[in-house]
Amino acid sequence: MKRLYFRAEESIKAKLIIAIGLLIIVGSSVFWYAILHKQKTDIMSIAVRYAVSFTDYIKERTRYNMLNLHSSDIQKTLEDISLAKGVERVRIFNHAGKISYSSSKEDIGKPVDKDSLACKGCHTEINKSPLLLPEQQKWGFYKDSEGFTALKFVEPIYNETACYTSECHVHRKEEKILGFIAADMSLALLDEAQFKQGLALTGYVFIFIIAISISLVIILYKIVSKPVSELAHGMKMVAEGNLDYSVKVFSRDEIGLLAEAFNSMTKDIKASRHKMEEWTRTLEEEVARKTEEIRKTHASLVQTEKLASLGRMAAGVAHEINNPLTGVVTFAHLLLKRVPPDSEDAQDINVIIEQADRCAIIIKNLLMFARASATEKGEVNVNDVLNKAVFMLKNQEKFYNIKFKIDQHPSPLMTFGDFSQFQQIFLNMLINAADAMNERGTISVATRKIVENAKPYAEIEFTDTGCGIKKEDMSKLFEPFFTTKPAEKGTGLGLSVSHGIVAQYGGNIKVESKEGEGTSFFVRLPLKED
Amino acid sequence: MKKILVIDDEAIVRMSCERALASEGCEVKTAESGNVGINMLENEPFNLILLDMKMPGMDGLEVLKIVKKRWAETKVIIVTGYSTDQTAAETLKLGACDFIEKPFTPDTLAASVAEALKK
Repeated sequence: MKRLYFRAEESIKAKLIIAIGLLIIVGSSVFWYAILHKQKTDIMSIAVRYAVSFTDYIKERTRYNMLNLHSSDIQKTLEDISLAKGVERVRIFNHAGKISYSSSKEDIGKPVDKDSLACKGCHTEINKSPLLLPEQQKWGFYKDSEGFTALKFVEPIYNETACYTSECHVHRKEEKILGFIAADMSLALLDEAQFKQGLALTGYVFIFIIAISISLVIILYKIVSKPVSELAHGMKMVAEGNLDYSVKVFSRDEIGLLAEAFNSMTKDIKASRHKMEEWTRTLEEEVARKTEEIRKTHASLVQTEKLASLGRMAAGVAHEINNPLTGVVTFAHLLLKRVPPDSEDAQDINVIIEQADRCAIIIKNLLMFARASATEKGEVNVNDVLNKAVFMLKNQEKFYNIKFKIDQHPSPLMTFGDFSQFQQIFLNMLINAADAMNERGTISVATRKIVENAKPYAEIEFTDTGCGIKKEDMSKLFEPFFTTKPAEKGTGLGLSVSHGIVAQYGGNIKVESKEGEGTSFFVRLPLKED
Repeated sequence: MKKILVIDDEAIVRMSCERALASEGCEVKTAESGNVGINMLENEPFNLILLDMKMPGMDGLEVLKIVKKRWAETKVIIVTGYSTDQTAAETLKLGACDFIEKPFTPDTLAASVAEALKK
């Protein structure tokens, strides 16, 4: 079954998603933090600017009353201003830290906390001269009692001509700083706005991450993961031996090209395998064919050797029997002459003579069979042999009622062998044909050139219009002493001898027969190649 | 009376020839081998020889050659139990006047002998 999920370290998809996902999350977080930080900084600096103008405003509002020393008016102004939203407290205190006016009346006359920004802003150590007075140290942020951010702003009131020339003579000319205006302002609204904005920004970033991740997963799945899984699946199928499997090509990019190359490779492998199987089969067929050829040749050799030894034995026996047979024939004839013709004795003697004659024929055939081994070989024209055989038989009593139809190959068909042996074979074939037709009918003889197993042969066809051969007899045709003729007519050696001779020269004899219609014998002798 | 010599290693063949030709009015003598036959020819002339081809010792072909060399007028008929066209042609070329295959009938033999003696 196809595995749908891979462990992260195994899958390209997972690796890409994790890597890109992490980058998006880190990137978005940095972006988110930077935005928030910038926003906060901006808000603070705006708040400080407002605080500056606010204290300037207080300075302007109280200036007249200060110069004319209208203490209750100053106090009243501070109280009024502190009613405005966001203003927590406004105080004015002298250089020594004693609070002269305050929006909350209970503070008046109290000293300012020596550690507060009002003092520490300029003096690193109390009762010593200020070291410096940088702008940014005039203000500071802190958390108020409700937890909101608050801004404390301290503005020094510098000595002016109008101050030390005033009729009240409160301030001397030498004094540099006459006092301070300190304003505490709540930034609760800004805090709230910033919180809301931060929340919205976080939401946007989160949505952005989700949307990007989903798009990324879809794109990766379509462009990389699916084609790669398909390719991996295809490779697995091919590795398991399914060479018909073709990977689907989704695109024209590198993965598509890879899939195409893979398909083409699979096709090549399939073709090679097919070719190899073809070769193996051809080789097997060739081996089987050669084995069969060797078996046939061997069988033929064994048969030829058998026939040859049988022939030698037959020759010896025949020769020895001919001598006593001569005696039997001679004395029977002599005896016949001494008895009155047509007597019972004469009839008996005739039986002896007839049987002796039969013996003589059998021996003659045996000798003919034996002759297959002792021969004179040379180049022989098959057409000449056939002409001579036909000429020899034409005028014999057996062939009086037989018509010959001869169709010879126009040019000489040269083979190697013994003229008289071939003649014996052809005579045999013609006599067999005549016997099969009861010495009445047509014998068609033809010679031609054929090619069998890429070798040229001379084929001599003998076709009769006789009784045909029974199917069960076909396999026994070439066995020695097999005959269907009456005992006094055949010995059953003719075809066997013929077969032996033809096989000896590398030829063969084929038979085709239809019962009741006739038989064709095809004698094939190897043609002598020029 | 014509004198005929039968040379054959087989007694039955010699006897057959003797009996078959006796009735034809010929004088028939026999020899059981080529050597004996040659010896007999040296002692008395014969008009015709019936010669077997295959014999132990000197075979028919050798005897034929000797006879044709020394007694050219003596006719020879080959009598054989085992022949081929080649051997027949060869003996005829060497001077034999006929070629008879065993087994033969008395009439065949007599006819062949009469024909040979006529020449």
